[in-house]
Amino acid sequence: MKSRQFIALSCIVLLPAMAYAGAAQKPIIDSYLAAAKAENAAFSGFSAERGKSFFLAKHDASSETPSCTTCHTSDPTKAGQTRAGKDVAPMAVSKTPDRFTDAEKVEKWFTRNCQSVIGRACTAQEKGDFITFMASL
Amino acid sequence: MKKIIGIGAVSLLTLGASLALVGPGNSALPQVEPAYVKECGACHIPYPAQYLPKRSWERILGSLDKHFGENATLSPKALQPIKAYLDSHAADSAAGNPRIMRDVAVNNTPLRIVEMPFWIHIHHKQIERKAFDTPKVKSAGNCAACHKGAANGQFGDDD
Repeated sequence: MKSRQFIALSCIVLLPAMAYAGAAQKPIIDSYLAAAKAENAAFSGFSAERGKSFFLAKHDASSETPSCTTCHTSDPTKAGQTRAGKDVAPMAVSKTPDRFTDAEKVEKWFTRNCQSVIGRACTAQEKGDFITFMASL
Repeated sequence: MKKIIGIGAVSLLTLGASLALVGPGNSALPQVEPAYVKECGACHIPYPAQYLPKRSWERILGSLDKHFGENATLSPKALQPIKAYLDSHAADSAAGNPRIMRDVAVNNTPLRIVEMPFWIHIHHKQIERKAFDTPKVKSAGNCAACHKGAANGQFGDDD
């Protein structure tokens, strides 16, 4: 009975993330899911919609990189460009299937870019929402 | 006479080698550390180690959290081979080129290759400054906008 309840609960909690993320992104989504729950007891699952708003938002921390869109453009299915002129492969998982499959790489870029754009570390929920959005496109 | 020709040939060879990095027709490409290409080359071309002195690379690697307006921090483990590579291939290293260091004051630590006298001499003698601000080029640091072989270390007039 207890294990049945656990399975049912897991399905409810994991469903929103699983509905969007591709199979290859699931391990990383799952690790952020655990971290998001640890950060906030009221956390109820990642949202592609929240991830989209987060991606498009403008911040005040940096005049050089006020938004994710500075380099990634506002359309994640299109290639972006770094400020130094180098192409950045599309963030959308449908266009770049190996996005969000290397945990070390994902953390490296969130660490750098959250500091550059927002001026602080991103929360696990923000990271999970972001990936969920990119996996939904 | 033979001796003189011999010395002449050696001098020409030396000159050729020293020009290899700055002149056209650069066929012998330097061996570049894969970690440097992977990490630094993610955002910009892997700028040639030979185009800045050791002290410049040290300062750049020591301030990656504020890297030209962006945070580009690396783990100590990832940084280690890059540091070793830049140190052993800088303009003033044994693998470097004295011509690149010409006119660089000892108390000057340029943080951009475009601040190096050799770069200014080569580019601003021939190219209007406003050409570097066009949307296609974006910045003078975008070598590959004009030098198509830049990512492979080729910077000749025809590359």
